[in-house]
Amino acid sequence: MAQVIAVAVAAGLLFLVVLFKLMWRVAEPNEALVISGLREHTPSDQVSESLGFKIVTGKGTLVIPGVQTVRRLSLDLREAELEIDCVTHQGIPLGIKGVVIFKVGDDYTSIANAARRFLDQQDNMDHRVHNVFAGHLRAIVGNMTVEEMIRDREKLTQLTRESSGTEMEKLGLIVDSLQIQEIVDPTGYIENLGRPHAAAVASQARIAQASADREATEREQEAEALKAEARRASQVKQASYQAEIDQATAQAKQAGPLSEASAKQEVVVQETKVAELEAQREEQKLQATVRKPADARAYEQTTLAKADRDARISAAEAHAKEVEMQAGANAQRVKLEAAAEAEHVRLAASAQAESTKAIGQAEAAATEAKGRAEGEAVRAKGMAEAEAIKARADALAENQDAVIGQQLAEQWPAIVEAAAKPFGDVDQMIVLNGAQGLSEVLAQALSQGATGLQLARNLLAEGRNGNGKAAAKEVDKAAD
Amino acid sequence: MADHTMIGKMGRVTGAITPGHLGEVMIPVRGGSEAFHAYAADGDDTIPTGKRVVVVEYYPPRTVVVTPM
Repeated sequence: MAQVIAVAVAAGLLFLVVLFKLMWRVAEPNEALVISGLREHTPSDQVSESLGFKIVTGKGTLVIPGVQTVRRLSLDLREAELEIDCVTHQGIPLGIKGVVIFKVGDDYTSIANAARRFLDQQDNMDHRVHNVFAGHLRAIVGNMTVEEMIRDREKLTQLTRESSGTEMEKLGLIVDSLQIQEIVDPTGYIENLGRPHAAAVASQARIAQASADREATEREQEAEALKAEARRASQVKQASYQAEIDQATAQAKQAGPLSEASAKQEVVVQETKVAELEAQREEQKLQATVRKPADARAYEQTTLAKADRDARISAAEAHAKEVEMQAGANAQRVKLEAAAEAEHVRLAASAQAESTKAIGQAEAAATEAKGRAEGEAVRAKGMAEAEAIKARADALAENQDAVIGQQLAEQWPAIVEAAAKPFGDVDQMIVLNGAQGLSEVLAQALSQGATGLQLARNLLAEGRNGNGKAAAKEVDKAAD
Repeated sequence: MADHTMIGKMGRVTGAITPGHLGEVMIPVRGGSEAFHAYAADGDDTIPTGKRVVVVEYYPPRTVVVTPM
């Protein structure tokens, strides 16, 4: 019996526990319980007062099943993604991707507002907020410039608050954050915004790099120069040491031969002294054996030759004196004989010359007289003939030249004869050149005649007046 | 939550309050801290970010009027 009672009690307890478990509801920290059904007896809030449902947050409450219903409203963060095309304050078109993070407000007013709007459609909350916020974001972007959007977070949040705050309050929501995740910039505005600075930075970087490079190169070159200098100094030192080493080595090498040579030199000196002494000895010997006797002989011969020469000179002088005296006597005699002979010859020659001269003079006078008489005769005859020719020439002056030429040619033998006549009449003719002189004179006369003929012809051919005279003159000349 | 629990609370400005513009203050409430829209008590006043303020009026659900300390 007692067991039955114990089981019944246990069952009763179990039933109570299960019943309590069914009736007791706990609100998690991130949710609110909205309980409706029985009027709340202790109105502690304006909301519950007015609407008649109870909101429980952060604690448990007893719910009577069948009488009251419990709904849970999540207070978690929610987010709505936004992707809109809009235009900034400056009129630049942009594509904005953003996210808005919101939640149901923690106070009872907000929870009540939200509960009345979203309690059965909490899953659609994001979509509705997205729709509301797209318009707000467009307005926000329209009030900002691109630069502000990038830099001025304060202004973004303030504009978000101003434009959407009150409207979200109506929905019982609060906006924790609006984030712009990505700005699509089809016109390249943002890129160009940064370009000057990027260029300046790049330029500075290049300048810095170039100057660093230059400095490094300078340092390198300086270091190279120093290295070269050190190398030079080292090489110079090495060379000088090497020179010293070489010198020392050479000296060391030469030491052996040098001492040898000096020893040799010493030997040579000694030998030379020996040779000199020997030469002196030889000389002394020669002096004694050769020179002294030779000197004696030379002296003897010289003395003898001198005596001989003196004797001969005396003899020659005596002989010369004798011959001279003899020749003088002979010359005197010949001279006297020659003078006598010369006087004789001169007298005979002068007598003969005188006679020859007288004879010659007489003969010359006779010949001169005779020649002159005959010359006169020839001259007279020539003159007469010339006159005749002249007259004839005058008469024929008007005739043709050929006739004149012919006449002259006919007369030519007579002219020549006349020219030769003087020679023929000369009995005796003294011609210094002999036969050759005679032929020359004849040839001259003949050539003169030929020249005269040619001249006469020419003159007659040239003119007709007084030409006959000229021809006659020429003929006269030829006759002479 | 009644007005008297909010009024007199001290908070910190997280969004500058300027004339004609809505600011934001963080106020410790309900064991945490929540952001409230804020106006200055003096309409021409400018309260910069970080300034400590006192709530002088409360308009449910989320608007307060503050004055700098």
